[in-house]
Amino acid sequence: MPSGAGSHNPAGIGRSLPERGLLLLMVLVFLEGSVLPLGAASSPDIRHQENVDNHKAADPGHNFTKKAFPVLDLDYKHIQTPFEISLWVLLASLMKLGFHLIPRLSSIVPESCLLITVGLLVGGLIKLAGEQVPPVLDSRLFFLCLLPPIILDAGYFLPIRPFMENLGTILMFAVVGTLWNAFFIGGLLYAVCQIQPANPNPLHAMELLPCLLFGSIISAVDPVAVLAVFEEIHINELLHILVFGESLLNDAVTVVLYHLFEEFAGAGTVTVMDGVLGVISFLVVALGGVLVGAIYGILSAFTSRFTSHTRVIEPLFVFVYSYMAYLSAEMFHLSGIMALIACGAVMRPYVEANISHKSHTTIKYFLKMWSSVSETLIFIFLGVATVDGPHAWNWTFVTVTVILCLVARVIGVVGLTYVINQFRIVKLTTKDQFIIAYGGLRGAIAFSLGFLLDKNHFPMREMFLTAIITVVFFTVFVQGMTIKPLVELLAVKKKQEAKRSINEEIHTQFLDHLLTGIEDICGHYGHHHWKDKLNRFNKKYVKKCLIAGERSKEPQLIAFYHKMEMKQAIELVESGGGVKLPSAVPSTVSMQNIQPKKPPPAKPAERALPQLPKGREEEIRKILRSNLQRTRQRLRSYNRHTLVADPYEDGFGDLLLKKQRMIELEKKIKDMSNYLTVPAAPPDSPTMCRARLASDPQAYSMKQGSDGVPTIHVDLASPQSPDSVNLMDEFRQASQQQEKDEDQGLMMKPPSRPTGRRKPGETDADKDQQKLMRCLSDPGPSAEEDEDEDEPFLP
Amino acid sequence: MGSSSSNMNHIPNAQELMQETGFSAAHLLRLYERFEFLDRDGKGELSPDDFEAVRELALNPIGGRIIEAFFPQGQETVDFASFVRVLAHFRPNDPNRKDGAQQDQANSRTRKLKFAFQLYDQDRDGKISRNELLQVLRAMLGIQVTEEQLQSIAERAIQEADLDRDGAISFDEFKKSLEKVNIDHKMSVRFLK
Repeated sequence: MPSGAGSHNPAGIGRSLPERGLLLLMVLVFLEGSVLPLGAASSPDIRHQENVDNHKAADPGHNFTKKAFPVLDLDYKHIQTPFEISLWVLLASLMKLGFHLIPRLSSIVPESCLLITVGLLVGGLIKLAGEQVPPVLDSRLFFLCLLPPIILDAGYFLPIRPFMENLGTILMFAVVGTLWNAFFIGGLLYAVCQIQPANPNPLHAMELLPCLLFGSIISAVDPVAVLAVFEEIHINELLHILVFGESLLNDAVTVVLYHLFEEFAGAGTVTVMDGVLGVISFLVVALGGVLVGAIYGILSAFTSRFTSHTRVIEPLFVFVYSYMAYLSAEMFHLSGIMALIACGAVMRPYVEANISHKSHTTIKYFLKMWSSVSETLIFIFLGVATVDGPHAWNWTFVTVTVILCLVARVIGVVGLTYVINQFRIVKLTTKDQFIIAYGGLRGAIAFSLGFLLDKNHFPMREMFLTAIITVVFFTVFVQGMTIKPLVELLAVKKKQEAKRSINEEIHTQFLDHLLTGIEDICGHYGHHHWKDKLNRFNKKYVKKCLIAGERSKEPQLIAFYHKMEMKQAIELVESGGGVKLPSAVPSTVSMQNIQPKKPPPAKPAERALPQLPKGREEEIRKILRSNLQRTRQRLRSYNRHTLVADPYEDGFGDLLLKKQRMIELEKKIKDMSNYLTVPAAPPDSPTMCRARLASDPQAYSMKQGSDGVPTIHVDLASPQSPDSVNLMDEFRQASQQQEKDEDQGLMMKPPSRPTGRRKPGETDADKDQQKLMRCLSDPGPSAEEDEDEDEPFLP
Repeated sequence: MGSSSSNMNHIPNAQELMQETGFSAAHLLRLYERFEFLDRDGKGELSPDDFEAVRELALNPIGGRIIEAFFPQGQETVDFASFVRVLAHFRPNDPNRKDGAQQDQANSRTRKLKFAFQLYDQDRDGKISRNELLQVLRAMLGIQVTEEQLQSIAERAIQEADLDRDGAISFDEFKKSLEKVNIDHKMSVRFLK
């Protein structure tokens, strides 16, 4: 890999040059190769020739004798369409690869620009080769295949909280802003067209309605372009969600306006009645789209409740239901984008609670992959279509369009912000307004909508297309390239690293409750009040239906906590790879079932973990064990008692000591288990599980704790132990004593489960023990029988 | 506006209150009406029972603490001035207003955080101990969670926030752990503008 920014480094260049050369070669080969098949007409000839040759070569009188069996045949027609599609996708992906090999380029020029350029090149090459440029940006292909993955990706991973908090603002921009843009541009264009200079102008033929239609097509901010550009500038969450949300929600407006003007462009006039119908239609389109999406989302969530036995096809449900939501909405001419967003957003919390960890990863990566490929293809096709499409260049029209787009956007944003700021708590500053205005990029949706226009109704279609392409190019190239330096220049707040701490989560929830309470006291039914009501409704009814098993009762904080612990545990293990334990045995034993098959971090002394005390590693290992197998069981394996002791340990050496002792004990147990009548137990068996459990020093110390240490008791409310020093000594003594006792115990029978877990007062400890067994061993039910023979070692 | 101005006369020290808390006259009036609504026996003061009559507050996990926050140490009742002073914490922070030092304003970020902090810190020792954090967690998460999980979370939270390693969260540590959260947004009630 070439060194990132150090292209000045000769070694870096040296390394990247052969790679670059190779890549360019591959690209050229592919381009050349693609020119031939992508051309329409020539291929059948080849085959025909071949067949004729074969016949001629094999048998002169082919009518009478049988043909010689063709050993090698070329049948391109057979595979033409899939082959071409694959070739395009491959081209797109290679381009994406290529850009990142040239580090300087990709940091200056956004990817979308590069891709359009590539598209232009490919289109140009095809044209040069004399072939017919394939009509790749076919509207059906675009709307049915290329657009949905991008929108689904956006909708599924939409950050709900900031979206909902700013919903009013977003809607204002999306609806009112787009309407304003459409009418302003359309109206002024018409006015400009009517300007009659001395020489007659083809523009005079333009009527009002086509202008308005054109205005409505060009005024919508494009989600694909916004995503492509904003992804790279890492702007703060508020601005990102405002522009992005606007680009998503204005689809409804665009759909309505488009259909409205298209219908009536033929008729010539629009009455007030039509206007009213238009408004109603807007509401139907928008709300209908959301409703369709929500219904499919709930269906999908409900389905995912039952997929615990067929984990492999879980991602499929997510994709198929969402796609069907999109298609259903499109069928009724409702807003497909809003349906898709609603579907993704509604189903996500429930589906994520139901599906396995691997499915979650699969969904995430598939969505990212598809949307990435789609986006790349869209931009390349834009380039190709530019080369191809019939153009009618009209200087006045095009320049006026571009200028009007900019002006309308700026005026719209400024005006709307003035109104919106009256209602917002956190006002939008001038900088924010500038970025919002500047981020109003147009893209392929506008182009496709223009493409859909009927030539008969709109004789000016080519002119429209040319103007649309120009605007798209302008926004993507000029605005796309300059937005990053502008963001730096204006010192706009960047996206903060999203590592949410448990503190934030707790306090945010606390503040939510607080604010709800204050609102209730004031008698004001505000934002928090309704959110609280919705949460309560969700918890009481919806979660019970849509989430399988026990997870339906799991509060959000706990889910968050689990996720965080697991993430951290995995990071811990991955970063600790390569350090060998003194005895490899316990490591293999305990890490058998964990995905990253690396030895756990061995010597605490060598690793400087900023936040975790070393004693936590064992706990985290246990979390990994239980979580990664059956993630849905409530865990009882956390060792609360030592956690209580932990903060009072100031001795590093004590931790080290404990760790070593643990290792030794585990080793001992491994040896012990060989003496048992049961032959070498597979790691998953209950025996080994118990061995693992029992080997935890903390487990031992828990037992001891019930005797000697004052703090480890049921009354967990008072952990403040003044005698922390004594604690450590107790531990040391206790553990040493423990070892001796435990040896005997181990000789006699399988190591008993740690009784420390059985706190007085906890009646369901047995049940939890069983559950734990189920956690740790995949063959679940068999574990329960073994429980009966167990007796507590210490009462 | 005629009736409202006469109502304003009922409010004791209206002008001073407006000055101190930054509420406008209209807001003050609205709050006064609410105060009178809550004060069912017309004593001119509110007692904890009056607060508890607010139905939704009973469902709120920290409802009790919020009510307590209105009654500073030992007092049995709260008059309108104190009522307004507490609610002033939740006024949206107006960045354009430059009267007086920002820090002293009733609704500045620090004051808001201090208010929230005091809700955690019941014994007013200036620190959130593990015990206090546990109580809050227990209240919020209810019976759905096991003790061990609560302990674990409380432990984790303190570990993350506790920079000076004294086992409790001081106000500064509290502030620091919330530095990424937009408190002005989070702790403002739009009504009170």
